[in-house]
Amino acid sequence: MFVPFFYELRTAGIPISPTAFLRLQKALNLGLVNSLEDFYTTARTILIKSERYFDLYDKIFAQYFLGVELKTPEEKELEGLVRALLEEWLKNPKQLADFLGIDPEQLKKYSPEELVRYFLEKLKEQTERHDGGDTWIGTAGTSPVGHSGIHPGGMRVGGISRNKSAIKVALERRWKDYAMNGPLDTSSIGEALKRLKHLTPSGPRDQLNISETIYQTVKNAGEIEIVFSPRLKDKLKIILVMDNGGWSMDPYIELCRTLFKYANDNFKQVRTYYFHNCIYDYVYEDPQRRAKPRKTLDFVREDPETRLIIVGDASMAPYELTHDQGTIEYGEYQTKSGLHWLKFLNQTFPHSAWLNPKLKEEWRYTAGSYTIARIREVFPMFDLTLEGLEKAVNHLTKK
Amino acid sequence: MEKRKLKEFEGTRTYVLDPELRKIVNISIALEMPLLLKGEPGTGKTLLAQAIAEDLGLILIVLNVKSSMKAVDALYQYDTLTRLNDARFGDSKRNVKNIEEYIRMGKIGQAFISESKVVLLIDEIDKADSDFQDDLLDVLDQMSFDIIEIDKTIKAKHRPIVIITSNAKKDLSDPFLGRCNFHHIAFPDPDMMHKIIRAHFPEIEQNLANSAIKIFYQLRKAPNVEKKPSTRELLNWLRALILDPSFKVKELGKEGKIPYLGVLFKKSMDLEQAKNYLSRVENL
Repeated sequence: MFVPFFYELRTAGIPISPTAFLRLQKALNLGLVNSLEDFYTTARTILIKSERYFDLYDKIFAQYFLGVELKTPEEKELEGLVRALLEEWLKNPKQLADFLGIDPEQLKKYSPEELVRYFLEKLKEQTERHDGGDTWIGTAGTSPVGHSGIHPGGMRVGGISRNKSAIKVALERRWKDYAMNGPLDTSSIGEALKRLKHLTPSGPRDQLNISETIYQTVKNAGEIEIVFSPRLKDKLKIILVMDNGGWSMDPYIELCRTLFKYANDNFKQVRTYYFHNCIYDYVYEDPQRRAKPRKTLDFVREDPETRLIIVGDASMAPYELTHDQGTIEYGEYQTKSGLHWLKFLNQTFPHSAWLNPKLKEEWRYTAGSYTIARIREVFPMFDLTLEGLEKAVNHLTKK
Repeated sequence: MEKRKLKEFEGTRTYVLDPELRKIVNISIALEMPLLLKGEPGTGKTLLAQAIAEDLGLILIVLNVKSSMKAVDALYQYDTLTRLNDARFGDSKRNVKNIEEYIRMGKIGQAFISESKVVLLIDEIDKADSDFQDDLLDVLDQMSFDIIEIDKTIKAKHRPIVIITSNAKKDLSDPFLGRCNFHHIAFPDPDMMHKIIRAHFPEIEQNLANSAIKIFYQLRKAPNVEKKPSTRELLNWLRALILDPSFKVKELGKEGKIPYLGVLFKKSMDLEQAKNYLSRVENL
């Protein structure tokens, strides 16, 4: 029973073992599952082993048992989707141009960022006109969006309810927040982790290692051989500040987060903050950069031995870095220029480094070359490669 | 399957159980699978095991995992020191030649040799290193372990109901997860909190409960706080408010005045932050 459901879950990337699935069958045979609601709970507790997958499970459950494709998405989600679509479309610019009603020649002048914005506006107009703002792209035929292959066919939002409560629970998407730090599978992550693990200070070799001493002494035929080990020093505290503004940064944010999450044991504490393009008066604890601002000035109270690692492409318009009102985030309060705040952070934390996902060879020629150069005057910058990471670690452990 | 059918777990007077969790507990009991509970501190993971034991009338055995703990410590200990003492002074009734008399059962061992079914709580398993989990894998799977000193296998007389908690700091290993049922307890929402308060203070005034819960959730939003107040703190705070004869419900939260704020925020830095936050928020 429910074999297709099992495969749906697996295809979506939730690691489920066949054993767990058989166990679910056993539970069904025990007669404990009497409703769809029971099934929802039972299957989740048996199959899903981490709260990170709860949200995905909810989505697939709703889709499988009701045919709901997606709830009316929030703006952020929509944006992500549009970006994915755009990438697909850029292979066929003419279709895109037709849809947006602009000249293909003119299309080339837009940056991807601008395109997304333009597209979202267009989309808003359209949904309002056709569907009263309730449903969303792809009510078959209203736009080519629906045929992009991501959501083929039409979509029923809300849908018919066969068993309302379980579906409702699944549609509530209570576990969304936990899904954010899902694991990222990158081939080089193991290697990168090894390098990151060197980020530990070691004390002088002045602690007697008794078992090693005995071993060496015996090996030495009883002639006493004393072995000393390095003294354990306090682990490092890490502050990770990441630029999650532009979509070009997205894959790297996830990569860095995963990296530091797995390396967590090696450090006393790892804290993560976010900014967009450049750091001003506030950084944010939440990736949406809304709910949990923290004054940049407050970092002065931190232990100066803390290692500060900034991850960002350092590419922006020059005024964003140098001007007192340079922020491009609407409504953000700013007193001093980005450069001022970067210098401030650098002085607060003598051990700091900037990791740039752009390759070092590009730094002098890329679009943001001016700001990269200016920021390099403040922070030592390394590219986000294995080699760069190794150098950054060396730099950060230096006395 | 268990021959004598256990009654289903229904929750207890002071432990408010949401139906979803009840289902999960009962499924785990029926499947004889360990149940792994994750969630932030103060969501009642540990209390759940106590409630299950109380409700089903079973004995609760708690294994508090410590960071230095080895799996064998949880199973049994060979008390060499006492044996040495007995061998040296010979003033006990134990037979020094019989090693078995010097084997002491650890918490898991106790659960296995118990004459009746027990609830075994393995609390905060993430504290120990991953070897600990790996070593326990087979023990929990087979419900048996060997005592190598006397070459004897201890097999569980009755499979205990195993509840494992983890504070979600570290991910547990995949094979371990594979052998458990899993649930993540989210922080209770205000409605649930009402029920929890009712369970603990059946006599409480509705007004007090309402405004206390409102303020509590507001205070949880205070920025830069290291340890947010949890259910336990809320209950203690209410207890303090109820005991204070001079306290009036109407005045709670007026002009940012919150008595016994220190009960909610236990770290001095957090208390400062909370006070700051209160001075900024005008209407609670």
